[in-house]
Amino acid sequence: MSTSTPNARGRRSPFVTATPSGDTTLTGLQRLPSHTRYPLTPSRLVTAATPGTQRSASRYTPRARGVGAPATPYGLRARQQRAANTPGRDRRRSGRMQRETTFDILRNLGRALAPISQPIRSSPQEKPAPIEEPIDEFEQLDNEPEIERPRLSLPIQESEEEGEEASPEMPPPRMSLAFAEEDMDITYQSVEYPRDTSIRDRDRLSMMSRATGRISGDFDETRLESDDADETGIVGEDDEAEDTMISGGDFDRGGETEDLGRFHFDLNFPSPAAPPLEDPTGGDMNDMDDFELSTAEQPPAPSDDDDDDGVGGDFGFGLDFPPAASPSQSPGIVGGGLRDEAIPAQGKQKKISRHGIPVPNLPAGVVKKLATRFARSGAGSKAKINKATLAAIEQASSWYFEQASQDLAAYSKHAGRKTIDESDVITLLRRQRHINNSTTVFSLAQKHLPKELQQDMRLAMPP
Amino acid sequence: MAVQKLYPRGTVKRIVKAHSNRSVSKNADILIFLDYMLFMQELMREASIRSRKSGEKNISANTVRKVTEVRFEVDLRASLEDS
Repeated sequence: MSTSTPNARGRRSPFVTATPSGDTTLTGLQRLPSHTRYPLTPSRLVTAATPGTQRSASRYTPRARGVGAPATPYGLRARQQRAANTPGRDRRRSGRMQRETTFDILRNLGRALAPISQPIRSSPQEKPAPIEEPIDEFEQLDNEPEIERPRLSLPIQESEEEGEEASPEMPPPRMSLAFAEEDMDITYQSVEYPRDTSIRDRDRLSMMSRATGRISGDFDETRLESDDADETGIVGEDDEAEDTMISGGDFDRGGETEDLGRFHFDLNFPSPAAPPLEDPTGGDMNDMDDFELSTAEQPPAPSDDDDDDGVGGDFGFGLDFPPAASPSQSPGIVGGGLRDEAIPAQGKQKKISRHGIPVPNLPAGVVKKLATRFARSGAGSKAKINKATLAAIEQASSWYFEQASQDLAAYSKHAGRKTIDESDVITLLRRQRHINNSTTVFSLAQKHLPKELQQDMRLAMPP
Repeated sequence: MAVQKLYPRGTVKRIVKAHSNRSVSKNADILIFLDYMLFMQELMREASIRSRKSGEKNISANTVRKVTEVRFEVDLRASLEDS
């Protein structure tokens, strides 16, 4: 009898009303002692005191009870047995009563306490104490917004340390360095780098040296293979270039230029055709050119156009060239930081976005007004903004708009829309941590926007 | 307070439209500009903090530029986090 808790009490009440009748019948029969004894060991009573006949009689004579009091002592006994047997419910009720009483006690306690009790709060109710520092305006400026965006302070500190002495350019890729070290180790036997040279390793190295430049030969083979593949795949591969390349691999095997060429060939794909264009002595310069090529993405050497198109176009533009329109205004990622020369170059003429659409500038008056407003609210006094600062701010604004627009486009594209919706901007705001649990768009709008715009905004998005 | 428009709505729409190659819904530019205002607030706050720290009286262009760099770094990091 697994009763679910909600109606447990409802189920109990009919039993309570039902028991007195049974008791009265039993008291009428005057056989209470055995009745009081049965809840403890009912099964023993049944098995010990009842032969199968009596049980069957008690089971198969339900009418006897309905008719009246039994006349014979067997009938009495049967009645009693029945009273002992049938109250499976009595027995179960007693058991369940025991089980439910604890639950009932708790539940009644809960019900009694429910209107009084308060939701649990953590006992130390103190607020996050403000940091104990002499109150200067930095502190005020820091604590000015309600909720600080947590990830801002840390990178500023970091970049202050590193930004003072070093430009925030990306470190040179480690891959090339490792390659160079390996090459040095293999080709120049004499150079000893600090590493744990086990005997096996040394043996291997000596074997390599005995094998007369096995590694370089190996790479020659691979290069030949790749060139063959190129030849089969792409038509525009000239034979003489391949010849010169093979000869170069022959007469400076293991040399510097050979290594550089191999390294360069391994790293970036678009240039397997580049080394054969010139004689192998000029391999260094050729490499330099190619590294520039990958960043400046305009082939500086107008040497062989169809060749470049054939190979470089096939591999490189798919792989590591960013889309060709990106370096025009992409903020600081490609160039590795702020490009100062872009600021005076911008001037008054209209920029072109990466989609080829002319981008209007936000009027300088608007930007200046905003800047003075926020600068003043931070500093307290009247902050002046000179022309260069305003130019920098405008530059930052245009970058901001470019970045934000791209993000919004990505959001709307992800949502499967063609227009940038309010929800996209909400998502952006949430990502920038301008909106969180305690700050809504409406509170922000109320803080910053005039009433008409707030109304329009509310119209656009019902809360 | 002078009854002056806070910003030219059409311009903002055109800017976003040009950069994103998507049309902007009717009132989304308000929110975009709201975001821009928050950006400006932050930019000016950081710039003024930095200029105070380096002892300048006014916010110089260099400070703004430095803050802008940091800002982009942070933005990049945030987008990396979220993606």
